[in-house]
Amino acid sequence: MVDQTRREFLKLGLAAAASAVTASAIEIPLFGSQNSSIQTQLNSANTQLANLKNRVNTVVGFVSLSVTEQSLLEKIVETIIPTDADPGAKEAGVIYFIDRQLGGDYGQSANMFMDGPFVPPAQTGPITVGTQTYSAGSPKVRVGAGTNYQYPLNLREFWRVGLIALQAYANSAYGGNFETLSSANQLLLLQDLWGNKPTSFSKILPSDFAYELTFMTWAGFLMDPIYGGNQNMVGWTYTGFNGVNFGNFYGEGKDQKTLMVATTPTRLKPASLAQYQQQASGSS
Amino acid sequence: MPTTITEPAADVVILGVGYMSGVIAAELTLPGLTYKVVAITKGPYWDYVNDFSTTKYDEWGVGLGRKYDSPLPLQSATIRNTPQQFALPVRRYTMPIQYHALGHGVGGAAQHYGGTMGRQGPWGYTQKSSTVTRYGQPFLDSVNPHSDLEDWPLTYAQYEPYYVEWEKAHGLCGDYNGSATNQPSDTGYPWMSQNYPLPPSPLTPVGQLFQTATQALGYHPFPHVSALASQPYINQYGVPVNPCVFDGYCGGPCDYACETGAKANAAYRTIPAAMKSSNFTLVLNSFIFRLDTDPISGLVTAARYYDPQGNVHIQPGKVFFNGMWGYNMIRIMLLSGVGAPYIWNSVPASVSGAVGRGLTNGYLPYKGTNVSGTLPSNGGNAYPAGNGSGGSVDIYDLMDDNFDHTGLNFIGGTEVGAGGYPGGGPGNITFAGSVSSASMGGTFKATQKDKYLPTKTTLSSTPFAHDLPTTDNYIDLDPHYTDIYGDPLARLTYDWTPNTYNGAIYLVNKVKDIFTRMGAQNVTIGSPVPPGGSTHNDWWGHHLRGGCRIGQDPNTSVWNKWNQCWSPVSKPVFNIFGAGEITNTSGDNVPSGTHVAGPQSYRAAEGIKQYLALATPGILP
Repeated sequence: MVDQTRREFLKLGLAAAASAVTASAIEIPLFGSQNSSIQTQLNSANTQLANLKNRVNTVVGFVSLSVTEQSLLEKIVETIIPTDADPGAKEAGVIYFIDRQLGGDYGQSANMFMDGPFVPPAQTGPITVGTQTYSAGSPKVRVGAGTNYQYPLNLREFWRVGLIALQAYANSAYGGNFETLSSANQLLLLQDLWGNKPTSFSKILPSDFAYELTFMTWAGFLMDPIYGGNQNMVGWTYTGFNGVNFGNFYGEGKDQKTLMVATTPTRLKPASLAQYQQQASGSS
Repeated sequence: MPTTITEPAADVVILGVGYMSGVIAAELTLPGLTYKVVAITKGPYWDYVNDFSTTKYDEWGVGLGRKYDSPLPLQSATIRNTPQQFALPVRRYTMPIQYHALGHGVGGAAQHYGGTMGRQGPWGYTQKSSTVTRYGQPFLDSVNPHSDLEDWPLTYAQYEPYYVEWEKAHGLCGDYNGSATNQPSDTGYPWMSQNYPLPPSPLTPVGQLFQTATQALGYHPFPHVSALASQPYINQYGVPVNPCVFDGYCGGPCDYACETGAKANAAYRTIPAAMKSSNFTLVLNSFIFRLDTDPISGLVTAARYYDPQGNVHIQPGKVFFNGMWGYNMIRIMLLSGVGAPYIWNSVPASVSGAVGRGLTNGYLPYKGTNVSGTLPSNGGNAYPAGNGSGGSVDIYDLMDDNFDHTGLNFIGGTEVGAGGYPGGGPGNITFAGSVSSASMGGTFKATQKDKYLPTKTTLSSTPFAHDLPTTDNYIDLDPHYTDIYGDPLARLTYDWTPNTYNGAIYLVNKVKDIFTRMGAQNVTIGSPVPPGGSTHNDWWGHHLRGGCRIGQDPNTSVWNKWNQCWSPVSKPVFNIFGAGEITNTSGDNVPSGTHVAGPQSYRAAEGIKQYLALATPGILP
């Protein structure tokens, strides 16, 4: 695997620690297999280090997701944008994008209006709020609309509740943790969420969580690498987006005013916001 | 402890510093004038080069983070469809991203718009009387149940000179408005005594196809009117303007600010003119929360605002200009008891008051019906947002009363256009409503490969007839939610009216003919979604119109023909003038409400000068 990261070192360590409970001896992660030569291990480590060195500007650690959330969410995002002949959510580092968001303003709902009361949308019968009764309930709104999120939870807590509920549903409806399900069943399960098929999904509507998962996964694939996803601009390369290459970033000699009135598209090597700023400031 | 500070009195106090306030500031601080003018805004004064040039190319931060827009924890609004419902607060900026995105700071929401402009034709000013004259009162009653439609106090011909001033101030780009003759006698098209000060930006190939096709069908195409400067320019106040650089990060869905100042707004057109005057004071980062009134005269005596430290400032003045955005303009009046608040009743004849009355929407519903097709040989790069309003071509022929409505079930129509610089970049998948259960897995992923290098153009149009005011759509104060300072939020009660929906069903077929003539393949009309559905709740909260109307009757409008308040509480509060809150504009999503409001700001500037010259202050004749 080209893009093995510190995170996967960590997972190896955890696996080893878990097995240590029953094993006769504690194995050292990475160098632990007695069936592999030390040299092979060192070669592997050197390759990994070289890969890391090439990626010094990318984000490969966690600030928010718990250990169990990491392994679960990793499989969820890889289900939403699978790796095939082309990179997917895994190679784009979508999970790091989401982790950074959950650890920052997004997770804290810092730019949201979060005062109560909290009344769910689409209430059809009469509802009483405070001292007032509304005979026609509350408006229907579309999932993802700005009035749709009416939970007394910030988004970090929403994700915590959602991931736990998803895992519980995986066990009750599909007989195992999400990570252990077949790819087909993983996708089916996520579609169940969109369809609000789970009947006991804790305090939140499954489709609201499914929206958030899908939205944030695609955002992690396609937003500027400066936020930790779309690493090496794989999302932009795949979708043919040029980023902030206005036609001459790498000296291609094109002009965006001309490109905008063309009748055929021009594929350029994408450029990121950080690259743009470095070029604009004269550094390299 | 926060303290209360009384500021030196001013002649004119401007509330909010957006497009309309900029005109008031510039006009009242011209060389030779001696008015003391104070303008107050809740946000900063963005410096386009310093603030935007390195950080704006950021779909995530600008689009979802709304880093240049008004923070929702500071203030939101609540939304419902009927007076019998509880109104839900807007809790987050999410897709569709324009939802409820208030601007922040000098320039206001125009920092992030697409630059779309366009005059309103003569019919728009007299649509009630014109409709009744031509089709009869029963027809109007049938197309708009609970109608609250009113004529404007002035005609197009009376506003025309003010349009010219507005267009010169902001360096608008265009080339007439589709009139075949361009004579003052034109009834269907907005006659122009002068052409736009700047030429349009280059037309796209799709725009040219639209031009050819509509000409062949007997329509009158013209370049879309844009506020993105196509050339270097200096306006009548001596303010220099840089041209558009075609960066592709312009209007929706993420709403980028402009790093060259080519996108017109008050910050880069009119406020720089006022800043040259020592009589002008700009107060930043200050949140206006109340207007003080004199208990005897009823007149406004001062504006109160919080500074960032929480101190309360009292800004006395002789005359006030309410230039806040949309519902905030109404909210400050309701919070302060200025003007008669609108009181809804299920019986139209029993409603009363004007502040909050006649809320309409100037933008297309998210769904209704639409028509789409594919141009097989027109591709190009997909940008986050192509130059927001240039490159396209429009017609007014399917708008206003420019076709016979006899036997139809709606009035008005829509501007139709095509060919804007290409948008649809990555932000669209995350923001613009395309995330669904279908957006998962390898099959969907395959549809995204090279998505932003399209070799075909999808034409799509949602041609709604314009939204008419009814007594059931209005703004009042929410009883449950407050802003960060504890004052009630604005509550918007609104649903799409049948006129828009019925118009759409008629107009899609006309647009289908145009698309077909352009050479589009697989031109299909979508299934209509009637009003009242959840998908109709997405696209409002912005592009609001009405709610604080200019009109002919102080019982149904807030502002008179000078944009002076004449709405009575016990007495008219005649020392406050308003920005161009629009009675009702014609033509659906465009012409821009901003362009239609603009001339009123020039009227209001004249009115304020006349008011300050009165020996005995009162309602202007």
